[in-house]
Amino acid sequence: MNLALSTRRRPYLLALAVFLLLCVINTILQPSFLRFGVAASNVAAFLPMALVAIGQTYVVLASDIDLSAGTIVSLVNVVVVSIIDGMGGSGVSIALGFAVGLALGIAAGLFNGLCVAVLRFQPIVATFASGIVFAGIALWILPEAGKQVPPVVYEAYSGALLGVPTVVLILLAVIGFAQFVARSPFYYALRATGGNMQAAYQSGVPVARVRIGAYTISGLFSALAGLALVGETASGDPLIGGALTLSSVTAVVLGGTALKGCIGGVAGSILGAFILGLINNVIFFAQLPFEWQGLIQGLIILAALAGGVVMARGKNG
Amino acid sequence: MPILEASGVRKQFGGVVALDGAHLTLEPHEVHALVGSNGCGKSTLCKIIAGSLAADEGRLELDGREVSFAGPREAAAAGIGVFYQDLSLIPEMTVAENVYLGREPRGAGGLVDRVALRDATARALAQFRGVLGADVHAEARVADLSADQCQLIEVLKVLAADPRVVIFDEATAALDRNQVGAVFTRIRALKEQGRAVIFITHRMDEVFELADRVTVMRNGRTVLTAPIAATSRDALVQAMVGEAIAGAARDRRHEPAETVALEAQGLGSAKLDNVSFALRRGEILGLGGLHGQGQSDLLRALFGVLPIVRGTVRVDGHPLAPSGPRAAMRRSIAYVSGDRARFGVLAIRPIFENLVLSLLARERRWAVARKKLEGVITPFVERLKLKFSSLQAPVSELSGGNQQKVVIARWLAVVPSILLLDDPTKGIDIQTKQDLYATMDQLCSQGVSILLHSSDDEELLAVADRVLVFNGGRVVAELSGEQRTRVALYQAAYASARGAPAEVTAASP
Repeated sequence: MNLALSTRRRPYLLALAVFLLLCVINTILQPSFLRFGVAASNVAAFLPMALVAIGQTYVVLASDIDLSAGTIVSLVNVVVVSIIDGMGGSGVSIALGFAVGLALGIAAGLFNGLCVAVLRFQPIVATFASGIVFAGIALWILPEAGKQVPPVVYEAYSGALLGVPTVVLILLAVIGFAQFVARSPFYYALRATGGNMQAAYQSGVPVARVRIGAYTISGLFSALAGLALVGETASGDPLIGGALTLSSVTAVVLGGTALKGCIGGVAGSILGAFILGLINNVIFFAQLPFEWQGLIQGLIILAALAGGVVMARGKNG
Repeated sequence: MPILEASGVRKQFGGVVALDGAHLTLEPHEVHALVGSNGCGKSTLCKIIAGSLAADEGRLELDGREVSFAGPREAAAAGIGVFYQDLSLIPEMTVAENVYLGREPRGAGGLVDRVALRDATARALAQFRGVLGADVHAEARVADLSADQCQLIEVLKVLAADPRVVIFDEATAALDRNQVGAVFTRIRALKEQGRAVIFITHRMDEVFELADRVTVMRNGRTVLTAPIAATSRDALVQAMVGEAIAGAARDRRHEPAETVALEAQGLGSAKLDNVSFALRRGEILGLGGLHGQGQSDLLRALFGVLPIVRGTVRVDGHPLAPSGPRAAMRRSIAYVSGDRARFGVLAIRPIFENLVLSLLARERRWAVARKKLEGVITPFVERLKLKFSSLQAPVSELSGGNQQKVVIARWLAVVPSILLLDDPTKGIDIQTKQDLYATMDQLCSQGVSILLHSSDDEELLAVADRVLVFNGGRVVAELSGEQRTRVALYQAAYASARGAPAEVTAASP
C-alpha cells in the first residue's frame, strides 16, 4: 500500500529500482563499470536516447505521441555535419551548423504540433508521416554515412570542463531545464491537457498552444540528440536516429509515464533510457550472442512494464 | 442595465435544431433559474454564453456591449464562470491543481508558487468545511474523491476565478441536503456582491428556494420568464411540458408476489457492512439515505463490478457468485447507472451500437443481421420516446436525458428479470421521468423485480414499495406502507448520521 502510494506520487521509483539492479549486475559482469571514465563514456553513449526520451515525455504527458523524433535526430545530424563540412570546419561553421540544427529541430517540432493541434490530424498518423518526410530529406541531403567534423567537436564532447565530463554537464543542464519547466504554468496546463483534453479546454487552458509547445520541445530535444551524435560519431549518418523513436517511447513508458497522459515525468524517462542502455551493456559483458540482444531486451522491458501494471493494480484493489 | 443579455439565439447540429429563438436576460444581484426538459436547449444556450459553442445566429451582450467569444478562455477572461454538469476536473491531478487550473499563483520568474497554491486551496476548501469530508485536502487526487466531493471541488474551481456571471449547470445533482445548503450559501454571497447567477436544475424546490427569476425553455425556445413570486410550481411545469399533466404526485401499489427473486444475506465489502434483504418478484425496493452510504456500491457489487467479501447472494434460490457483469447478465440481471458518462455510453460510437451493446454481449452466434437487431430494439426506443436524428449519429450528440434513455433501452432489450437502477433519473427532465416510471410499473406487472437507488427522495418514496435506508454501508431502517414519508426517511438517515440509533424502527414487509 505504501509502496503503491509512493509510486503514484513518484512514478519513476520502479524504474529507479530496475536501474540500480542493472547497475549491480553490470558491475559484477564488468568490474570497471564504476570507474569514472567508464561511467562517463556510458553517459555519453546513452545521452542521445535520454535526450529524445525527455522530449518525448512532454508530448506523451499531453496524451500525444511523436513518432518522428528519431528522424528529426537523423535530419539534424546530417544537416549539421553537411554545413560544417561544406564550410571547411571553421569555428564559425561549427557555431552556424549547431544553430541551424537547433532551429531545424524546433521548426520540425512546430510543424508536428501544427498538424496535430491545429489541423487535428491523429498524432500517430501525423508524426509517422512527417517522420517519413524528415527521413527522406535526410537521405536527400546525405545519401550515405560519411563526412567529417573537425576533431575539436568530438574532443569537446568527450572532454571535460573543470574536471566534469561535458556529457555530464549537458545532462545536468537538461535536468535543470526540466526542473524549470516542471514548475512553470505550462507544465500544469500540459498535464491537464493530457488528463482530460475537453475539461482542460473548458477550463480555459490553451490546449492547442500547449500541444504545439510540447511537440516543439520534443523537436528541440531531438535536435540536441542529433548534435550529441555529431559529437559522439564525428560524422553524419542519415539513418542514425531511426531506432531512437521507439526506444524513446519505451524509455518514457519504462520511466512510469502513462501513454494516456498526465502522469509521469522527465526523471523517469532519463532512467528509462539508461535502463535500455544498460541492458545492452549487460548482454555484451555477459558475452551473450549478439542475436539474443533483441529478445532479452524485449523480455526485460516486458517484465518491467508488468511490474508497473501489478503495482497499479495493488493500488486500486 | 442587464449584466448579460442573449437574444434571438439559434443553433443547429446537423439536422437537429437545438436552439431557435432563445432569450435570456440577466440582471446584477440576481439568481436566475433556467429550467426545461432535457434537450430543450438550456445546456446549449449556456455553452454559447460560455464560449465553448458558437451560435449560428443571435446576439450576446455583456454590460450592453455586443461580444462574441472564440472559446471558453475568452469568456472566462470576460468574467463568465461555468460549473459544468459533467465537471471539468482532471482526475489525475490534485485538488489544488484543479481548483486553480490556468490561474496558478505565480512566484519568482513566473513559476508556479506551490506553497501559495496549497494555501489558497486550503482557504478555498475551508468554505466547505463540514460538508466536504476530512479526506479532501489540497494534495488529494481528484480521482480518489466521490461524486459529491468532485461537485463541490468544481464549485470551488468556478469561484476561484472570481467570475461576474456564473452558470451552475446541475450543480447540486449529487449533493446531499447539507452540501446543497453550503453551495446555496456561496451562491447567495455572489448575489450580495452584485454578481449574476444562472442556475440550472431539475429540482423544483431548489428553484423556489434560491431563484429571484426563472426562465423556462421548451424545444430550443424561451417560453416564459417571470419573477419567482409571480409564478408557481404548476405554472412552470406546464410551461416546460407545454400541455397540462397530472400532478407529479403518484402513489400506486404493486402487488409483489411472495416468491423471492433476489436474496442477500450479510453482504460485506469495502463499502458494505452486513447488508441483508429480500427482493420479491414484481417489487420495487428502494435504497435511500444520504449520498454515498453504500447504495451504489451495493448495486455495483450485485452486478459483479465491485467485489463482495462476505455474505451470500441468491437469485431465485440459487447462489450467485458475482464474478463479473457477464455472470450477472446470464442470471438476467441488468444494471443502469445514472453516471452515464462514466459507466453508460460509448460517447463517440453511434446510437445504434450503444443500443444493441447488451444484446450483442448475450449473442452466441458469430454474425447478426443489423435489420434484425433494429427490429428488436425499435419497440423499446419508441416506448421511451427517444429523440434522435439518426441511429448512426454518435450518442454524444444527444442530450443527457436522451443518452440515459439509450442506456435504459439497451437493458430493457435483453428483458431482464432483475433490474438494478443506480440513480437512473439523475439530470433527467420530468417528462422522461414519467416515461421511466410508467415503464417500471409495466415491468413490475410482468414480474420483473427492481432495486432502485435514487438521489431524489420524493421519487424514491413515491416509486418504491419499500425503502431501505442506508448509512455507512449498513441498512439502518426499512420503511414500508404508511412509513414511507420524507420525515421518516430523513429521521432515519440523519439520526444515524449523528451516531444515534434510528428513530424509525425496522418494519417487516
